Amino acid sequence: MKNISPLNNIHQLGQYGNFENKNDNELVKIKEIKNIFIYQVVQFKNSPKSELVIDNLVFPDVLQVKTNKEIRILWMGPNNWLVISDKNIKNELDNNFSINDFAVTDISHSRSIIELEGSNAKEVIKKGSPFNIENLAENNCCNTIFNGITITIDNIEQNKNKIRIISLRSFGESLYHSITDACLEFGYKAI
Amino acid sequence: MLYIKCPYCGIRAQTEFAYGGDATVKRPELNKEITDKEWDEFVYLRKSLRGKHLEFWHHISGCRQWFKVQRDTATHEIFKTLKPHEEL
Repeated sequence: MKNISPLNNIHQLGQYGNFENKNDNELVKIKEIKNIFIYQVVQFKNSPKSELVIDNLVFPDVLQVKTNKEIRILWMGPNNWLVISDKNIKNELDNNFSINDFAVTDISHSRSIIELEGSNAKEVIKKGSPFNIENLAENNCCNTIFNGITITIDNIEQNKNKIRIISLRSFGESLYHSITDACLEFGYKAI
Repeated sequence: MLYIKCPYCGIRAQTEFAYGGDATVKRPELNKEITDKEWDEFVYLRKSLRGKHLEFWHHISGCRQWFKVQRDTATHEIFKTLKPHEEL
């Protein structure tokens, strides 16, 4: 079965907005991250607390992200994490986390992910979010809002100003419109 | 705009939160015989205080946790935020 990505209907490749007379590095690059596995891991309230590990990654604390080449683990709230992976690690998660103490849910098809890259990526976020993104270091994440839509911001790479914005799938198209509107001023390239 | 310090995430803008009501109201004990009047008071009657007030807030666009906020209803000054099980 072929998966239809959340932004399939609106993410059209090309250059838009104020892109003329600018080189590629000046434009905001917008990319849809698709065909990726997303799992929500929730530890039950009264379950014994211990260090949680998967693929040699310790589950992170407040606003932190732990990452290796294939997996990113984002802190979503107390006892609540989002595990994003290129490969299917459901079995690994099920083996590591007992159903008596954890709820592991595959939410790969219920999130949309937009990746922004470029020197103005943070400026785009500032237009719609009250969160002070300048305080968000590399491999930090936070839940906040963008023009009224609940989002998760994941700072992937500080040097390249690469940021991922994760939202509920049903808000994906609306969020994409909001973000591309905010990008018009700088010019953007959908890749 | 108010800035509220979530006990879990830190200081965030009010737009990330939802107000959850009076945090001083205690639910009647389970299985205890209570009158209709007492139940009515628990469900509906609220004080409309001017001054320091303890209230519940929900970090709905953040960590999705409930917590208590001690806030002045006249000046909107926030004195303290607590986790739900903590007392002033």
